Amino acid sequence: MKIEISDHKGKKVMALSGEIDMHESPYLRKELMALVGKKTTPLVVDFQAVSYIDSSGIATFVEGLKGMMAFGGKLQLVSIPAGIMEIFSFSKLDKVFEIHGSVDDALNS
Amino acid sequence: MLGEPKITVSEAYLRDVEKKVEDLKALREVSALISSTLDFNDLMTLVMEKAKKVMNAEACSILLYNKNTKKLEFEVAICKEETASEILREKITLDLGQGIAGWVAENLKPLLIRDAGSDDRFFKDADKLTGFKTKSLLAVPLVGRGGLVGVAEIINPKNKDSFDDYDSEIFQTLCRQVAIAIENACFYKESLEKEKMRQELEIASALQKSFLPDSPFFKRDKLTVSAVNISAAKVGGDLYDFIEPVEGKAGILIGDVSGKGVSGALYMAKIISDFRFIAKEIASPGTALQLLNTQLSRAPRGMFLTAIYIIADIHTGELLITVAGHPPPLILSGGGAAVMDIPSGPPVGILPVEYPSVAFSLKKGDKLLLLTDGAFEAKNKKGERIGFEKLLDFIKRHKNEEQLVQMVIEHVKRFSKGTEMADDLTMVELAWDCVA
Repeated sequence: MKIEISDHKGKKVMALSGEIDMHESPYLRKELMALVGKKTTPLVVDFQAVSYIDSSGIATFVEGLKGMMAFGGKLQLVSIPAGIMEIFSFSKLDKVFEIHGSVDDALNS
Repeated sequence: MLGEPKITVSEAYLRDVEKKVEDLKALREVSALISSTLDFNDLMTLVMEKAKKVMNAEACSILLYNKNTKKLEFEVAICKEETASEILREKITLDLGQGIAGWVAENLKPLLIRDAGSDDRFFKDADKLTGFKTKSLLAVPLVGRGGLVGVAEIINPKNKDSFDDYDSEIFQTLCRQVAIAIENACFYKESLEKEKMRQELEIASALQKSFLPDSPFFKRDKLTVSAVNISAAKVGGDLYDFIEPVEGKAGILIGDVSGKGVSGALYMAKIISDFRFIAKEIASPGTALQLLNTQLSRAPRGMFLTAIYIIADIHTGELLITVAGHPPPLILSGGGAAVMDIPSGPPVGILPVEYPSVAFSLKKGDKLLLLTDGAFEAKNKKGERIGFEKLLDFIKRHKNEEQLVQMVIEHVKRFSKGTEMADDLTMVELAWDCVA
């Protein structure tokens, strides 16, 4: 898994690629929680190049979301590929996370 | 008469030969020492004490290469002052390419430094911290079968100003044996640790199973419930439970904890004990999951639970069903099999939400199947997953089989044959008024 953090129109975007499994989640957690710790909001996470996510990866985003909610911050997940969106919908995680079609959609929301 | 030819040798030559014989003896002793122990700490100290003596050096050290951090760390440093050894072990690590040892590790070549003070590669901080004055040193890479193991160094010869090429040759011979001995000791240490971990996991597994109901079968009046739970690893994150929260009712829970391994298992154990405490006296599954949700919202690391909780009237077959982010139940009724369309809430332990309870009535011969995603996320050798729809097709084709749950399990096992089981697999079957 690769993580690239960039500024897009003044907002932080975390672009992920590859598989987010139990081996990669600790790295994701370190990067994500560092941004949450700095109260980076909104934080847009771009899933476009993510090929797989398991429950440890989802739990990492749940932790990030809880961290954000604690100070009223926003965690926005965008460009989720259809296969991964199915997992989100199937387990009703689409009711938990703020999900948008693209980075721009999230930034304009 | 011609006598034996006379050969005249100088005293210096004789001393030189004697020294070489002594060195060879010492090398043989080191070789014997190395094979005398597999204890990593003993080996390090023994070998380096001997090396210091053989090489007649003031100090010596071994830096081990940490493959995770890609740094060299002092493992043993033997010098007069114990404090200096402690300082090196606790405070100094070197990157590849940093200092003499870093250079040796990076280039995998020995290095003989006659005057450390005039060599730019010398890492002066070590001397500054320890108060030791390095004049001459010899550093040799320790290379085992698996690549770089570390770097061995000897510092300051006692009987001369600097080490020479002969010292370098002897030290390299010694280090070839040391490298293999370290590697063997590391393998041994790892295998001991693995064995310890295996035993710990076995105990954890037994403890975890003790949280599940004593029997996977539960029968009250016309309701029969059976469960199968297979963990992918020794300890798993799936759970099921049968309780009797109020008179005449049975509570059936199936769940899947995010995360695997020991953390998943511990969380699963906490959930079952919290659930049993919370669900007592509560006749609505939605209320019970709501209370569990509040309880689990403080879970660390974003851990959560997907679950279905059903409360069944054991006399009438009336059910109340609550789904929390879990794969929906399947109903096998009147010769058909279908996915139940029940509104689901999010997984438990994430957000403060209300969970609805949906009523459903079982008829004579009906069966309800609950499963965890391990059943349809199983992969075959090609990396393809069974998928929920295909698993549903299989269930539809075999809906009338008495041993349906067992058949599904066998089907999943056959599909993923030759691959490592990636997720736990749990199935719970509720049968109403069926002929046993």
